[in-house]
Amino acid sequence: MAVEKGIRLGTMTLTDLKKSGGLEAALRGFAWFYLGPEFCENLLDASVCDEAAWLQGRGKKVCLLTPMLSEKGAGRLDSVFKKLLRLAKSGALDPAGLEITVNDFGAFELARRNRLPFRLNAGRLLRENVFDDTGKAVTVHNGLALKFFRGLGVSRYELSTIGTPPDVNFARGGLFGFDRRTFRLTLYYPYLNLTSTRTCLVGMRDAPPEGAARGVSCARECRVGSFELAHPAIKEKLLVRGNTVFLEFPEKFYAAEKDLLRMNVDRLVYAPFL
Amino acid sequence: MKIVSCFSDLSELEPLAEAGADEFYTAVGDLPAFSIGVLPAADLPKAVKKVRALGKRISLAVNAIHAPATDRHLGAVEKRIRRLAALGVDAFIFSNPYLLGLFSGREKRLGAELHLSSVQPVFNSLSAAFFSRFGIARIILPNQLSPHEARKILLFCRARNIETEIFDYRFFGCAYVNGRCQLHRPGHYTLKSAIVEGSLCRINAKPGGLVKLRSLDLPGRAGELPALIKRLENRFTGGGSPRLSDAAAFFDFFASGVQYLKYGTRHDLPEVKVKKVRELRAMLGLAERLSSSNPRAEARRVFIRELSGWNGGGF
Repeated sequence: MAVEKGIRLGTMTLTDLKKSGGLEAALRGFAWFYLGPEFCENLLDASVCDEAAWLQGRGKKVCLLTPMLSEKGAGRLDSVFKKLLRLAKSGALDPAGLEITVNDFGAFELARRNRLPFRLNAGRLLRENVFDDTGKAVTVHNGLALKFFRGLGVSRYELSTIGTPPDVNFARGGLFGFDRRTFRLTLYYPYLNLTSTRTCLVGMRDAPPEGAARGVSCARECRVGSFELAHPAIKEKLLVRGNTVFLEFPEKFYAAEKDLLRMNVDRLVYAPFL
Repeated sequence: MKIVSCFSDLSELEPLAEAGADEFYTAVGDLPAFSIGVLPAADLPKAVKKVRALGKRISLAVNAIHAPATDRHLGAVEKRIRRLAALGVDAFIFSNPYLLGLFSGREKRLGAELHLSSVQPVFNSLSAAFFSRFGIARIILPNQLSPHEARKILLFCRARNIETEIFDYRFFGCAYVNGRCQLHRPGHYTLKSAIVEGSLCRINAKPGGLVKLRSLDLPGRAGELPALIKRLENRFTGGGSPRLSDAAAFFDFFASGVQYLKYGTRHDLPEVKVKKVRELRAMLGLAERLSSSNPRAEARRVFIRELSGWNGGGF
């Protein structure tokens, strides 16, 4: 079995990628395109649906990333879902070639209410409900955690590289009540998302003491650029994009594809833009 | 609004009740809980008895999102929770849905309430609806949610008889999303030295020279970079990104009918716990007094002014 390859555009749109001169190379190099905001609802925009349809027209598969949601984001995501349904109904979008990655349980509820015909994945912000990847290993808590997500239609989970080939407890699934054949992993590289905040580190203004902020507002400062932080306590640089802090693992973390398959990873997603 | 206080030692219960706690919660070492500070497991039956004698209620946090368990271990965890429910623990606080699922559904139901931890943050009414199907009796709201954003959640909960709880913003207020943060877990980075004062999220240094641009994606907005870098430096050296929880947020949640106010730093010293619960009681008393004698806008204005002058309580 071959490992599929994808690219995550992050805060970039297809138009941005085209302007940067990278679109044709991306189309040649990757079977999957990961679109949409993974970490922040303020970037949710229904125009991503047209990008998905356009990419499918070029023979690509698409995974739409969705973020943590407040009520505002849930409303926007509902518009995105409804537009996807319209495109699918009109034949402009093939449901078999579109996946949706969920990072908020509210999005599962929304998907259920909209009866989405697309496959759902559990994203990196939900990974800790099933996996422990905080050390040098990636382990499944228990088979019941996988079963719970299977009940939501999820059999694919998204994780980040942790820089080295991790130990896994997948071969000892019997002890933990699971069968490793029941789930697959998508692995993002070269960045690990260490933490996220709702109130954007880069974009949100400080709230005045006399009034509670109504929500998270910004001027899309995350799209301006990314930053690195030299933390005096650690050797590595922390990287910041918008509301999320990352670590970079630039070294290759596997020798051969069979190493990835040992980890149940059958899809690699390159995330060059944080 | 009632006060829920943490405790981690039997001797804390009476002073905390005198200070104004209406409910108690704790964690024990043999069940997976988020954060540190636990009651010795052998003391839990005595704690239940003591809380009963005080006429209060007790909850147990089993709210670790990371809850690894072999099937055998999981069987023991489930059995233990059922025994504790039979013993009189009033509620169990969960975050991981797979553990919550052990006790939801007619045949699996406990004789105790299920509460949803803020470690599994509910930021929208759809999530509230999702978790309501587990039969939860209370949602502990994350502190990264404004009262304005919470309006539909509160409406939903009220309609379904689900209670809601918030934290006292003065004693709990991480800017990062609870349960989804690995800044405290040095498995992925290399420490140069022990982290002084807190963790990776608080840099004990003055701003300047810590942050630099990594990539400029919109050259047309390059003029914003100095201000953005300054903002980031101030945030990493000064306690993080803006808080949605503050005096105004507390008042708005209070006025919206949120039923419980939590203080939950289990590793605080006993005398600090008592002092903090007194502070909760005083703040709540102020909100109640002002609300009973003023129009809402005026009560809010005076409340915020009073709390702006709060001296930090000497903690």
